[in-house]
Amino acid sequence: MEIELREEGGVVVLTLKGRLDLASGSGLKDQVKDLLSREKSLLHLNLSHVDFINSSGLGVLVSIMKEARLRKGRLTLSNLASYVQEIFEITQLSHIFEIFPTESEALKSYDSVTTD
Amino acid sequence: MTVKTHEFTYPSVLESEDQMLKDVRTVLDRNAVAGLLKHSFMIVVSEAFTNALRHGNRLDPEKQVNVAVSVNKTEIVADIIDEGRGGLDRVKRKRPSCLMDEGGRGLEIIAHYADSVQFEETEKGGLKVSIKFARTRRKYNKAVARPHGGDHGD
Repeated sequence: MEIELREEGGVVVLTLKGRLDLASGSGLKDQVKDLLSREKSLLHLNLSHVDFINSSGLGVLVSIMKEARLRKGRLTLSNLASYVQEIFEITQLSHIFEIFPTESEALKSYDSVTTD
Repeated sequence: MTVKTHEFTYPSVLESEDQMLKDVRTVLDRNAVAGLLKHSFMIVVSEAFTNALRHGNRLDPEKQVNVAVSVNKTEIVADIIDEGRGGLDRVKRKRPSCLMDEGGRGLEIIAHYADSVQFEETEKGGLKVSIKFARTRRKYNKAVARPHGGDHGD
């Protein structure tokens, strides 16, 4: 899996490309762990190029969300393909993740949180 | 009707999943299995394979996972066999006790997509998971077009 990383207004945006499964998930976890250790806990994952996710990949996302929240941070997701969205619904994870249709809508939501 | 079974064997290392998915994809492509059916089948095989690697063979590279795939005009079948211990005891169809749990969703996903799934203990105490997809059913075509998650209820 390829991970592109950039920062926008204090939010670290990670654009993922490829499969999110047992093997690739550990790389993502390590990358996020590194960000969190540097006090970067506002995270956004753009999943537009994730063409495959299984329960191991979901487990990694849950783990990242928990770690971010522990550091009073936040994790948002966007641009889920329909079959990725379906997995979130089957497992009911759509109820606990903040999922946005687009990256810009997700990033906008950080503005409202910080200005409220 | 003669149905060719494609058999593959993998060591229990993380990297095997990549090769396994490539091999299964090749079989499906050669048999004109495409779209959501192909995607759903690959997710289910991936779940069973990951279970075999992690919970069956405990990522012991000395142990192998065997995958057999056969396709005919009406169905696609996969058998995933590990060399672990505990056989059927490892199969407890349960959801995670809490949505925040990191694991425990594999069987739920398999049950959602597959038309049939059977578990059998091997002579050595491992687990054989047999998965069947009908090529004509629409179960896996329940595409979810919602742009983002929200309150959908059950």
